[in-house]
Amino acid sequence: MSIELSFNDEIANVMYATHGNPIKDCLQCGTCSGTCPAVEFMDHTPRVIIGLISAGYKDEVLASNTFWSCASCYHCTVRCPAGIDIADMMYALKRYSIWKGRHQEGLIGPVFSESFVKMIVNSGRSFEPLLAPTYIFKNGPQGLVQEAQTATGLMLKGRLPLLPKKIKGLKKFQNMVRRIIPIGEPS
Amino acid sequence: MKQYAYYPGCSLESLATSYNLSTLEVAHNLGVDLKEIKDWNCCGATAYFPVDELLAHTLVARNLALAEKDGLSDFVAPCSACYKNAYFTNAYLKKDPDLAEHINYALEADNLHVNGTMKVRHLIEVFIEDVGLEEIGKKITHPLKGLRVAPYYGCQLLRPRKENENVENPQFFESLLSALGAEPVDYPSKTRCCGGSLIITNRKAALDMVHILLQDAVNRKADVIATTCPMCNVNLEVYQGQVNREFGTQFAIPVMYFTQLMGVALGIKPGKLGIGKELVSGEPVLAFAY
Amino acid sequence: MSEKIGVYVCHCGTNIAGTVDVKGVAEWAAEHLKHRGVVIGREYKFMCSSLGQELVEKDIKELGLTRVIVAACSPHLHEKTFRTACERAGLNPYLCEMVSIREQVSWVHADKAAATEKSKAVISGGVERVLHNEPLEPIRVPIHADTLVVGGGIAGIQAALEIADAGYHVCLVEREPSIGGHMAQFDKTFPTLDCSACILTPKMVDVGNHPNITLLTWSEVVKVDGFVGNFKATIRKKARYVNTDTCTGCGICWEKCPKKVVDNVYEAGLGNRKAIYTPFAQAVPRYPVIDVENCTYFKNGKCKACQIFCPTEPNSINFDQKDEMLEVQAGNIILATGYDLFDATRIPQYGYGKLPNVFTSLEFERMCNAAGPTEGKIVLRDKTTTPKSVVIVHCVGSRDENYNKYCSGICCMQSLKFAHLVMERTGAEVYNCYIDIRTPFKDYEEFYKRVLEEGGHFIRGKVAEVTDAARLPEEEGKLIVQVEDTLIGKQRRIPVDMVILSAGIEPRHDAKEVGKLFGIACGASGWYTEKHPKLDPVATMTEGIYIAGCVQGPKDIPVSVAQGAAAAARVLGKIQQGVISLEPIKASINETQCSGCRICNGLCPFNAIAFIEDDKVSSINPALCQGCGTCVAACPAGAISGTGFSDAQIIAQIDGLLLRNLEPVEA
Repeated sequence: MSIELSFNDEIANVMYATHGNPIKDCLQCGTCSGTCPAVEFMDHTPRVIIGLISAGYKDEVLASNTFWSCASCYHCTVRCPAGIDIADMMYALKRYSIWKGRHQEGLIGPVFSESFVKMIVNSGRSFEPLLAPTYIFKNGPQGLVQEAQTATGLMLKGRLPLLPKKIKGLKKFQNMVRRIIPIGEPS
Repeated sequence: MKQYAYYPGCSLESLATSYNLSTLEVAHNLGVDLKEIKDWNCCGATAYFPVDELLAHTLVARNLALAEKDGLSDFVAPCSACYKNAYFTNAYLKKDPDLAEHINYALEADNLHVNGTMKVRHLIEVFIEDVGLEEIGKKITHPLKGLRVAPYYGCQLLRPRKENENVENPQFFESLLSALGAEPVDYPSKTRCCGGSLIITNRKAALDMVHILLQDAVNRKADVIATTCPMCNVNLEVYQGQVNREFGTQFAIPVMYFTQLMGVALGIKPGKLGIGKELVSGEPVLAFAY
Repeated sequence: MSEKIGVYVCHCGTNIAGTVDVKGVAEWAAEHLKHRGVVIGREYKFMCSSLGQELVEKDIKELGLTRVIVAACSPHLHEKTFRTACERAGLNPYLCEMVSIREQVSWVHADKAAATEKSKAVISGGVERVLHNEPLEPIRVPIHADTLVVGGGIAGIQAALEIADAGYHVCLVEREPSIGGHMAQFDKTFPTLDCSACILTPKMVDVGNHPNITLLTWSEVVKVDGFVGNFKATIRKKARYVNTDTCTGCGICWEKCPKKVVDNVYEAGLGNRKAIYTPFAQAVPRYPVIDVENCTYFKNGKCKACQIFCPTEPNSINFDQKDEMLEVQAGNIILATGYDLFDATRIPQYGYGKLPNVFTSLEFERMCNAAGPTEGKIVLRDKTTTPKSVVIVHCVGSRDENYNKYCSGICCMQSLKFAHLVMERTGAEVYNCYIDIRTPFKDYEEFYKRVLEEGGHFIRGKVAEVTDAARLPEEEGKLIVQVEDTLIGKQRRIPVDMVILSAGIEPRHDAKEVGKLFGIACGASGWYTEKHPKLDPVATMTEGIYIAGCVQGPKDIPVSVAQGAAAAARVLGKIQQGVISLEPIKASINETQCSGCRICNGLCPFNAIAFIEDDKVSSINPALCQGCGTCVAACPAGAISGTGFSDAQIIAQIDGLLLRNLEPVEA
């Protein structure tokens, strides 16, 4: 017998370490959205997203850019009167979105995060220049020029890493990763 | 002398080398023995959690395990994102045996095991609590007299809440700056987000957030913004030029790490603190000390 | 001599009969427990009905039953019903026991066969137990006709007046120099917009003049001994340093006093008083008190202006006056000590205490009050500028996991009242930022409509922060309220001149300690626990102690008055009865077995166990004992037994439950 999970339940399931995040307790008071410093750049406020999840409007939620504009500042979380960890829920929505392969067109977030994780699995350390292709072309020609200017400035001050680093115990590290999810070359 | 497991984090080796330099110099001056964790890996900042939660915690836990292996008690991170990740992964390991089991199963492949016994600290906490403001005060040779500093706490140093802390209007950064002889400024945006990784994934949003922080600091007549996190520092400093272009402003306010200000006050040579590597020059600050 | 036991199994409609084979169980009891004394086993649809009860009464009379077992719902509901029925039929009520086969069987099990078997076992347990029951008589204690009312706010005042008007004596104790409580601080009361002092002061004057009320202000209860009907309270009457026999309350002393002090109690920190003062003009009693912390004489021996200018002969100022300890006897006590306002500095993002023009509700009440620090003018902290725009923030510290989880009940109406007053007196633009508008009672919703019609703006959103960090030119010099307008889904920044925080209400900061004095408990949120939240809101689990007003939970003035009157009615009822009957289910100590270890003394949650020094044994006061059994279990010598729950009874019940009492039945 298969059980039909509500969208609310699905999202609750994608929060493992903080299981018990009481999204159902939302009063729709708006404190989170009143606090959020990035709300002007979201198509739905965080409160509306919770409302949409409760109402089961999965498509609309996944088509939103709200959680991809979340900076994880946790200000909503500490102020929420219902004790909901909204920032953590935003991460859950990101995970769900990447897992289902469904998100708004043109967003940098999904491909940036996936590339970042792949990079870490391959080396154990982050190396910004490898990530550049995921975003430098996304802000138009002007953006590209500005990025190049910034990068040059940093390079002249010796702040841009020129060579990627690798951790020494990389093979074992990758075996460790593979015990969680199958990613990277088998050893 | 107590040894602390030191976790610099990726940015301290590249974009934020001055934070690393000034941290090591100040620590040495104050007798804080920081022992870098051998072969640590990236903590993921905010990039792992959007992909897989369990993997994210495991990658953080590996560093905790390495520190435990060294037999040290305190895990110190200068970067707020690394700090927040380490703190909460550590807390969850203690609270949730299922999670711990799962993570240790993976760590086993790397000959590691984590018990959740580390005490995770932010660098600023170690200086204020373990060394103490009085001790620091005694070692000041070049008080930053008249320097108006906007104490920028940022987000992840304070949030999510760890125990019953004052996360809305903390004063510990101001206390430290006062101990250095400087004048901490009343900075209402001091816990407002700098945008973090949105600088990559949503440039417009991040620049707007940085603009608000810079404008507020300038409105309060701050001479410099002091930071406790490399991400905040980069957003406020490296991208100041882009903010100016986007909003037609003319900001040129120095943004420095708190350790750099500490170092100057302690009489350490600016060059050794990485001062001079900024895109927005930190030179004006030195005039207050010398 | 063997007992004759009647077993009655209730269907409770289908509540029990739907799961348990009640007929089968009744027959089983009559058959299989015959050798234990069961002479009759009946089942009936509703045992608690008069017909059901008559069944029991008839059997007692006709079959000469000596014990009764009713297997039905929980004893909490109908134990009294069946015991009273037995009493009517001439059987001692304590020879009747109820066993629950509803809450403990039919309501929690789905397997009918198993439930039926369990019911049999439960009844068997009851039968074995009741064989050990003794006939008991309720304990009767006389009621002292005086009443102690603690707290002189509107609830306490109402209670005191009702009892005093009925002809009985009341001692009213109030911690502040005057009665009146928080209601004396308000300007207008919702929804009628009556002037608060105008409706309160006549009652205060009545209390002050009443021949049956002894008013002890500037006093606190420090100890309570005794039990229902017979309380002895020790009251500290703090030194006023004013002789109340000669003082006329003329006011020259406080006029001449040179020392100004910020009044943090009555004026909510917005205004001042002197070191010698009465809290407000209509204070009852009129006698001032000296605040020794701030009095120049008490600090360094100088001044004495009050004494110098006091016109009475002899002088009414007495710097050598001492606190007096009084003992008051009372049959009943009513606690009506009110509430404290939530401390808004706990929410730094609202700026209270940092940003000057953020006010709390009580500060604003004082501001609106014509006799207040701004003479009723609504002005900013500079005491001159009239605000042109005001935000009223709802739910400050309430409905919040980070502070108080509960709704404070009165703030929505209070906020609407403020909105009305601000618009009426200043013509300013007013914004109420709320999560819900809670206006449940008579004329409340109509008041909300009135404020809407008067042009009040309503933004549905809990305020996220109040700041002075301007971003746009129109925000310069203003307080910016940042909130999501949830009805339109946008974050808004509203620049205003003044912000009023409708702070929630909380139990008094020392409610727990005071509760302990009287032997009553606080609930999870700190309000005192009533006997039953629905059906008995003014009584407590401690006989003789009643609660009224906000001390029991947030409520408005009409409900506080009603509770004060309700508590008074309960007390008058008890006084009229003259004696009180207490349940005889008590613990008692066998003195010969007591070793004097005193372990039980500290464990009793009702302070019912005293240690008799002369005999070196402990003794239980049956009037205070509630029969909880804690001491019975704790006594290492087994010297304490519970009437109605002796070891023998309990072990017998267990044996019955395990069906060890059955003889093999012939087929």
